[in-house]
Amino acid sequence: MESIDRTQQPEIQTIQDINITRAHQFNLSNGLPVYSIESGTEEIVKVDLLIRAGSWFQPKPLVAAATGEMLTEGSIHYTSEEIAGQLDYYGAFLKSTADKDIATLSLLTLKKYLRESLAILADVLKNPSFPEKELSTYLSNKKQHFLLEHSRVNTLSRVKFNEALFGSHHPYGKITKEEDHDQITAEDLRQFHRAFYTTGRSELLLTGHIDEWVHQSVEEFLGEDDWQKEGAEKKTPDFRPFTTTDTEVFTPKEEALQSALRMGKILFNKRHPDFPGMQVVNTILGGYFGSRLMKKIREEKGYTYGIYSMMVPMVNEGYLSIASEVGSDVCRQAIEDIYQEISKLRNEKVGQQELSMVKNYMMGQLLRAFDGPLPTASTWFSLLEMGLQDDYYKRMVYTINNITAGDVQELANKYLDEQTLIRSVAGKCQ
Amino acid sequence: MVEFKRYILDNGLTLIVHPDPYTPIATFNLLYNVGSKHENPERTGFAHLFEHLMFEGSVNIPSYDTPLQRAGGENNAFTSNDITNYYLTLPVENLETAFWLESDRMLGLKLTEEKIRVQKNVVIEEYNQRYRNQPYGDAMMLLRSMAYKKHPYQWSTIGKDISHIEQATREEVKEFFYHHYAPNNAFLTVVGDLDPEEVRQMADRWFGIIPRRELAEKSIPKEPPQQEPRTKSVTRDVPHNVLYKAYHMCDRNHPDFYASDLLSDLLANGNSARLYQNLVKKKQVFSSIDAYITGDVDEGLLMITGTLARRMGMEEAEKELLEELDRLKKAPVSEEELQKVKNKVIAVKTYTRTSALHKAMNMAYYELLGDAGQINTEDEKYQRVTPKDIQRVSRQILDPSNCSTLYYSAKNQ
Repeated sequence: MESIDRTQQPEIQTIQDINITRAHQFNLSNGLPVYSIESGTEEIVKVDLLIRAGSWFQPKPLVAAATGEMLTEGSIHYTSEEIAGQLDYYGAFLKSTADKDIATLSLLTLKKYLRESLAILADVLKNPSFPEKELSTYLSNKKQHFLLEHSRVNTLSRVKFNEALFGSHHPYGKITKEEDHDQITAEDLRQFHRAFYTTGRSELLLTGHIDEWVHQSVEEFLGEDDWQKEGAEKKTPDFRPFTTTDTEVFTPKEEALQSALRMGKILFNKRHPDFPGMQVVNTILGGYFGSRLMKKIREEKGYTYGIYSMMVPMVNEGYLSIASEVGSDVCRQAIEDIYQEISKLRNEKVGQQELSMVKNYMMGQLLRAFDGPLPTASTWFSLLEMGLQDDYYKRMVYTINNITAGDVQELANKYLDEQTLIRSVAGKCQ
Repeated sequence: MVEFKRYILDNGLTLIVHPDPYTPIATFNLLYNVGSKHENPERTGFAHLFEHLMFEGSVNIPSYDTPLQRAGGENNAFTSNDITNYYLTLPVENLETAFWLESDRMLGLKLTEEKIRVQKNVVIEEYNQRYRNQPYGDAMMLLRSMAYKKHPYQWSTIGKDISHIEQATREEVKEFFYHHYAPNNAFLTVVGDLDPEEVRQMADRWFGIIPRRELAEKSIPKEPPQQEPRTKSVTRDVPHNVLYKAYHMCDRNHPDFYASDLLSDLLANGNSARLYQNLVKKKQVFSSIDAYITGDVDEGLLMITGTLARRMGMEEAEKELLEELDRLKKAPVSEEELQKVKNKVIAVKTYTRTSALHKAMNMAYYELLGDAGQINTEDEKYQRVTPKDIQRVSRQILDPSNCSTLYYSAKNQ
């Protein structure tokens, strides 16, 4: 057997470019834009309908989420039980949800049941009935789930952080309350659905085993008529963030063994020219397992099971969020260590070895983002959400290949001044 | 059909290669046949602590993560009651780095007192984050110790008592390594746009020199059949009352495994399932309810967890649940209802096959059970289950004297 040197890493190839899975774009007869992507060999189809109907647009708390989540709870043709029974029989998953910016109807089905499950998707989208009894069960279960979530320090720290960043009147900062669950009526949902679930506010993404038959089926179920005739284009409400002037918001929870931390600030989303560069800065700081924060707080100190930082892109804003759950007794020390790592990013140039490692890691992540139909669907979905196309990834690849240690330091100084960061702590932290 | 080639190296390492020309990524999954069930009862949590220590540098490589990330790779690992599984993905051009890293840490680790100290802390924080500082975080631990009196499934992977981790010494850690980490105790799967013969050569090159090791004695005590209902009540600072039931079921290779899995699906897989429709939607006894099997290699558990609706008493909720379970025992399910849960299992398997990582993990696990080729034959085994089978396993499993019940009450209700 040939002898090998085990102390040396085998030769590696640097990935310079990635194969971005392209989308074929066309419109259905009613004008609905479709992005269609062939990916993978299994006979499955993923259908994602994106609708600009998130909580940004809601007249009162919970209406957007309740409208989205109640779609599958009954239509003028089928009861909730019938809808669930049919979908389960086809082995199809239909999820309807709404977050801050958008509502999503997401279907994963075997290709052989595409027409059957698309028929259900189209029905609940166009003809939901929002039955009173289902709504009351939904709200009371949702309230219970809300109470469970809010007994976790992690949730407390997150909602208070968002409120501190954006203000209590901003849709990204507003905190849902227990009593909000008692104020929702079926009529609220009907009105919201009529106004916002319209062809003009929607886009469709198809991924998987796609062919002409799939396109024809989609045209038949979603393309022939305008779903909501009354839904004249709504003016987008305008909200401005109002960030707190405090450095820290603290939410006490007695007997907490760990405290949950969030730190960060408002920055920008994927449409900003500095976003790709800040993705590199963020990766170095806390965006992967080998990050500086993970090395310091977990691997060197053993204060936590994990710590991550993220550039969170929303449709109208974006922010940096550093999150961890740390032992309550070492909470203050952990906060200090995080600040130190940020200041190091501003004051010292990142070494070539570390930078090239981060670049290679990020290129690997981009490969993974288009590896197979389900990752490709979610990658494309997050582009469409932002109103972006695949040239975003060309910019990302260009930035990763060309960014220098000097650029990283400059970006860190431009955006990560420690004085401008705010933090939210929940638990017991002396 | 998932095509694959199997090789057994001279040192006993099993290698499975599945060529997949549709992905730019190579997936490398190395399963060690060691889990928390192999632990000394006085030193529980070791298999999982060990998973952490595997990332702390090996004989020739001071850092595991750095060179992997340099190669564009990513990795993770998990420990269960049965196995410890390490997996990584990287651009296929750089596959050799995976062989280099994984063979070196199978060869031996370089553990310092300091590294062990830090990872013990990390595990203690993990214990705090996932088990102690979470509502209901200790429920599964309580249930395991009720359901198992002899078999080591009585403790969770994190351990029976965190003091076992606190007290672990470097010598004990070393001993654990040589007793369990060995080529003849491991199953490797590689998936990617690859020629199996070339992968075998790579495996020989990197793993070939690692000698077979003498493994620890693996006689695991069998759990005697449970003869009487077991119950326990706890009150904690949690938001809602929750009812837990754990029933013993067969092992993973038993022919009744498939019927038992479908039984749990009939109860709670999907919004059309019985418990959700009848007890959450129609009667509003629970605000959410779930049933699942643990799927362990040895005799496992069928678990039911229901969060009670507000103002619902434990007694009434339990009575309603038991009535639902009795219906399955009394009358066979309709062909259509059974077909529904079969369709769902098979559809989910199709969705899962779109991911090379899931294929790699599943094949390693099936090989541990006896044959990686089971990835192609499981659908058929589910299809063969009849309504009579469901009725028969319902009667066996859902018997009150086979059940451990945990009443987990909220302090403020």
